[in-house]
Amino acid sequence: MHPYLKKFLAICLLIVCWSCGSEKEKQVGQALVLQDGLGRTVKLEGQPKRVMAFASSMTEMLFAVCDTATIVGRTPQCDYPAGVYSKPVVNNYPVDFEQVLALKPDLVFTVEGITPLDMAARLEELGIPVYYQKYRSVEDILQGIEDIGCIMDREQQANYLADSLRQEVQEIERRYSGQAKQQRVLTITWSDPIYVYGQNTILTDQLRILGAQNAVQEVFDQPYPALTREYILKLNPDILLGGSIERLEREFFSLYPELRKIAAYQNKRIYQPTGNLIERPSPRVVESIRELESFLYP
Amino acid sequence: MRGALYFAGAILLILITLVLGLQVGTFEVDLPTIWDAFFHYDPDNTTHFAITHLRLPRLLLALVVGASLAFCGYLMQAMVNNGLADPYLLGTASGASLGAVVVFFGFVEVSIGGFYMPPVFALLGAFIVTLFVVALGYRKRQLIPAQLLLAGIAISSLVTAMVGLLTFLSDSEGKLKSVIFWSMGSFERASWSLLPYPATALLLALLLFAFLQKQLNILLLGADRAQALGVNVAQTRWAILGTVSIVTGFAVATSGPIGFVGLIIPHVTRGLMGATGRSNLLFCAFVGGLFMLLCDLLSRILYPPAGLPIGIITSFFGVPFFVYLLSRKNYKFSS
Repeated sequence: MHPYLKKFLAICLLIVCWSCGSEKEKQVGQALVLQDGLGRTVKLEGQPKRVMAFASSMTEMLFAVCDTATIVGRTPQCDYPAGVYSKPVVNNYPVDFEQVLALKPDLVFTVEGITPLDMAARLEELGIPVYYQKYRSVEDILQGIEDIGCIMDREQQANYLADSLRQEVQEIERRYSGQAKQQRVLTITWSDPIYVYGQNTILTDQLRILGAQNAVQEVFDQPYPALTREYILKLNPDILLGGSIERLEREFFSLYPELRKIAAYQNKRIYQPTGNLIERPSPRVVESIRELESFLYP
Repeated sequence: MRGALYFAGAILLILITLVLGLQVGTFEVDLPTIWDAFFHYDPDNTTHFAITHLRLPRLLLALVVGASLAFCGYLMQAMVNNGLADPYLLGTASGASLGAVVVFFGFVEVSIGGFYMPPVFALLGAFIVTLFVVALGYRKRQLIPAQLLLAGIAISSLVTAMVGLLTFLSDSEGKLKSVIFWSMGSFERASWSLLPYPATALLLALLLFAFLQKQLNILLLGADRAQALGVNVAQTRWAILGTVSIVTGFAVATSGPIGFVGLIIPHVTRGLMGATGRSNLLFCAFVGGLFMLLCDLLSRILYPPAGLPIGIITSFFGVPFFVYLLSRKNYKFSS
């Protein structure tokens, strides 16, 4: 190849990479060097053609952005979209290394906290790079979509999706900005012991968008802190999420009858969010916000 | 005289710890508020409610469970004549864990007829496993302590493996949290409706052994000598066995298997009161209750609001003290 042509191509490639916005990737010859959400360096031999995710939310991301033929597997928890059921199941915890090797993915996507770093290191020893994303807000999820688009060479599709979701979020946010009284929402994830959504979860941002607030204002080390009955009694949330009234009556309030004093119980403001919507930082995040909206403003 | 002083000291410390414990929690509480909560109770005041319905039952449950485990530990050590015995030797802890895990993992409804099932199944599991261990330790119409010990260890290991298998096959993080939380013990589920069960079992047992303390001390000399001295060894052993399984069963079912209390406190008792003191059992129960109250207080101060699992605190603070006690030159297990 002519040296000038080579230089021209290299400059074009740099421009393409720069256009990926916050992407920290660069192409060295054929190899791609990326920096993931945890700041780890991830080296790829080239544009990934076979990928899979170790988190069900990430599988949803891949299905929304990638050509589905490039997705080579799913975890046992993946149940959305319906297309996932046509993919072979791979155990993600503990990782079924042999099955992963058999599927030969060029890259495995995962989410902070789902795949332990030592498992990722082991996979990388076996020649399968692992790319982590982490999210603290709804905007982080949308950027995550763009990020995947950039890596998978599907920027147009990813950016279009992220922008349309962003627009919807902004519209909802405008509608509920300046609420006179912010409703305080407590969301339980488990009843014995009582675990709840803390400040460091995307739910806090979703509630902010809806002009409400997470009843747990204290910042704990864990995203889902354990709370005592006394703590919840003091929080006295306006709304309780975590199950239908009947279910929580049976499994929560029968165990903690003292908590029947909280405002949410007294006013019957108890709702059951769809598990795989509220729990997953996926492209369905706006759908999740809309569901929360229906609880907050019935 | 010295014994009476120790008793007075233990009771005073329990009262002080109770008052301190009533002040620790999410709601800020001072002494006048505690006074008002008891003597001028306002049903609309949430702080009063928290003191009387959350903190007090929790403290009393800690007191009862600590006393129960220490008391049963003392009985077991006397029965098998071995200072390494604890109340869980009969498989109570592992049986209770299996019972609770069966509910947590969805094999049984969490709540049946308004009753929360994990403690019920824990109690059931404790009794079934204990019965099994006792059956294995029973030969030629008598209980054989050495065989009982081995059966306890073997069956406990088997049941623990079953719990491990179920835990490994768990399909949700929440279930795992429940099992881990359960296995390390907690008083967070305490309530006035739960408290009477372990408390009644303990009071009846204390009453029964108020009459059997002498036989218990003689048993420390060995079964043959005790028999020669006129003690009905078989009957005493059955009384111990029945009491330990019921009292420990209730304690574990309400609070989870809390370790070390039943092992350490009997040694503390003998260290302070002598190996064959007349009121050792009662004193052991008091010290066990006090120790558990202190551990619970510490757990809530160190890691608010949920508190550290109580089993971690009992091990951290109990074991060094135990080592110190064993290193004392004048310590004896039996007279």
